[in-house]
Amino acid sequence: MSTGSNLFAEPGLQQITVWARGVVMNKDARDIVVALAEAAAREGKYVQAWENYVDLPDRVYVPVRAYARISTDPIESKYIYENETPDIIILVEETLVKGVPVLRGLRKGGVLVVNTRRSPEEILSFLGDTGNLETLVTVDASSLSTAVTTLSGAEGATDATGIGAGIAAPLAGAVVKATGIVSLENLAAVVKNPEAMRRGYELARVTRLETKGAAQEVAVSAGELLKQLPFAGTVPSPVSENEGMVTGNWRMQRPVLDQEACTSCDTCWIYCPDSCITRTDEGPTFNLKYCKGCGICEEVCPSGAISLVPELNFKD
Amino acid sequence: MGKVRRISGCVAAANAVKLADVDVICSYPIRPYTGIMSELARMVADGELDAEFIHGEGEHAQLSVVYGASAAGARTFTGSSGVGVTYAFEVYSPISGERLPVQMAIGDRTLDPPGDFGSEHTDAECCRDQGWIQGWASTQQEVLDMHLIYYRVGEDPRVMLPQFVCQDGYYITHILGEVDIPDPSQVKEFLPPYKNHHVLDPKNPMIIGAQIEPAMGPPLQYQRYQAMQAVGQVLREAHEEFARIFGRRYDPFLEEYLTEDAEVVIFGQGAHMVTAKAVAARLRNLGEKVGVVRLRTFRPFPTEEIRRRMSRFKAIGVLDNSVNFGISCNGGVLLSELRAALYDFGDKVKTVGFVAGLGGEVVTHDEFYRMFRKIQEIAKTGKVEQTAYWLPFEL
Ligand code: SF4
Ligand code: SF4
Repeated sequence: MSTGSNLFAEPGLQQITVWARGVVMNKDARDIVVALAEAAAREGKYVQAWENYVDLPDRVYVPVRAYARISTDPIESKYIYENETPDIIILVEETLVKGVPVLRGLRKGGVLVVNTRRSPEEILSFLGDTGNLETLVTVDASSLSTAVTTLSGAEGATDATGIGAGIAAPLAGAVVKATGIVSLENLAAVVKNPEAMRRGYELARVTRLETKGAAQEVAVSAGELLKQLPFAGTVPSPVSENEGMVTGNWRMQRPVLDQEACTSCDTCWIYCPDSCITRTDEGPTFNLKYCKGCGICEEVCPSGAISLVPELNFKD
Repeated sequence: MGKVRRISGCVAAANAVKLADVDVICSYPIRPYTGIMSELARMVADGELDAEFIHGEGEHAQLSVVYGASAAGARTFTGSSGVGVTYAFEVYSPISGERLPVQMAIGDRTLDPPGDFGSEHTDAECCRDQGWIQGWASTQQEVLDMHLIYYRVGEDPRVMLPQFVCQDGYYITHILGEVDIPDPSQVKEFLPPYKNHHVLDPKNPMIIGAQIEPAMGPPLQYQRYQAMQAVGQVLREAHEEFARIFGRRYDPFLEEYLTEDAEVVIFGQGAHMVTAKAVAARLRNLGEKVGVVRLRTFRPFPTEEIRRRMSRFKAIGVLDNSVNFGISCNGGVLLSELRAALYDFGDKVKTVGFVAGLGGEVVTHDEFYRMFRKIQEIAKTGKVEQTAYWLPFEL
């Protein structure tokens, strides 16, 4: 006995999901949803803004989400945990297009806004099947303002540093350009850096795409989980690789070895916090399924044999 | 009217504590209630609140610190979540036994295992019989209001009992909601200064919590029992005053929603009841006579109110967002207590339990829909085939 989904539809409701990276970008992700929600509230809309609680916000670089809901009617899904079918998705950092299912659940006619200086074509090449995506917006927000890293406002507390001083402002401006979800004036009234917001609006590049329709994803049911659950929920201890915590998609920069310079001193192997360096006759190799791009290996290498290269420079 | 802001339940609680002008705060971090303490720490650091802010070395210490501070005449505040709440367990009874109106916020969190920080009412419900007043808010606004009301009720000379103000972790603690933050002058009018009956004072030395003979047990416990019995009336008065001063009126015990001609209702407490109400409203559009009754005061359990107001329904479904392994009827403590309260009505009112949202999972619209359908089926057939259902496995 199930309802069929229409009974609980909220046609006046728009869902906005922002993806960012733990600790270093939590703040800008939160600022985008709060700024858009506050601007919409000025327009008499019903709004809600919050951060995903299950993502691991205290892990540096881990993909994290913040959400907003903006509606013409009172929001009935207030305590539904996540935005399951977003209309607008914003990536505070470009590498999130790689290995993170950012488009999951995107509704028909969906909009994706990416903070990048790369071309729309290049971004699209990483996204693969874009499904319901209709509008891609690229904007080099990082060149328009400086990201704010702060723990103020973490865990639902008040952010004493104010809203929209960093790259959130130009990104929110880009959202407005593509969607008109709030007016530029109302957004300007709530962000701390309206100049950067306007520049984001002006410089945002909007690309319209042909929607292809999204493949229906079937979530694993609780019944299925019950069948799969080991006795007392024990977890096998990983010997080398933990399939339950693949950290490769935390990586924004990839370590690359200069074999000539490497003396095989093994310092990097000792220091890698994720044990993803293997010693070989050709020097260290990096397990990219787990390397989270922390850069410690580069930092400790006494010979300068490791350099960090933006992850999107690699197609694999 | 104060200032309306969009804030989390954590910040709402902190604002209430600030408005109540507490003297001593004792913290120890654990998600999801931590935000309350970071906010209070900020307020103290920024000079917005003049209070002693003490870091306990654990939850047992937290409760011990506010125990002593309250006995010394301070208005106190502490809080915790999940296993933090249970770690402090030993100190709950001494505090209520000494009749110290300490206030504690609980941001619900599942007890271990596993190390899950999702919400379940189990942590706070474990402490239900320790002589503390206890209730669940369902919105960020209600969090703020409940903290203020509970200080007033707990510190009333007829009561003098500690209070748990509970909010569902994440759903209320972390999601931003609209909150009207009242003016301090209104709060001053509503909440008189804290006056202890027996202040620890070096000039007049006194022992609290002394060893006693068994013969003193019955009268001592009966005193505490009478204090708990007095809470209902004091809650009523406090809610009247609250409505007069702040313009927000809550039923002290039961919030009824679409119940006027309802045949069946869902009964429960906390954040998920907001979703239940949305589902009931949609079913009303289909002409179904369904409603929701949300419990606002869990301790003391409002037996008389329930008997008077809920025996008119044909069938009641009870949502428990907690685990009570081996409990009567296989549901949760709310089912068990509601059934006990309605016992004298026998078969006239059917009841059925639902256990859902464990581990912090969402209780979805669809799940509430299935619950309503099950209750309607019971009302129609008069048959209760199963006393309780664990969702989503059994319904
Ligand atoms: S960047 Fe280097 S140290 Fe960091 S995880 Fe990758 S290989 Fe290990
Ligand atoms: S620390 Fe540098 S030199 Fe030493 S093994 Fe690693 S890459 Fe080679």
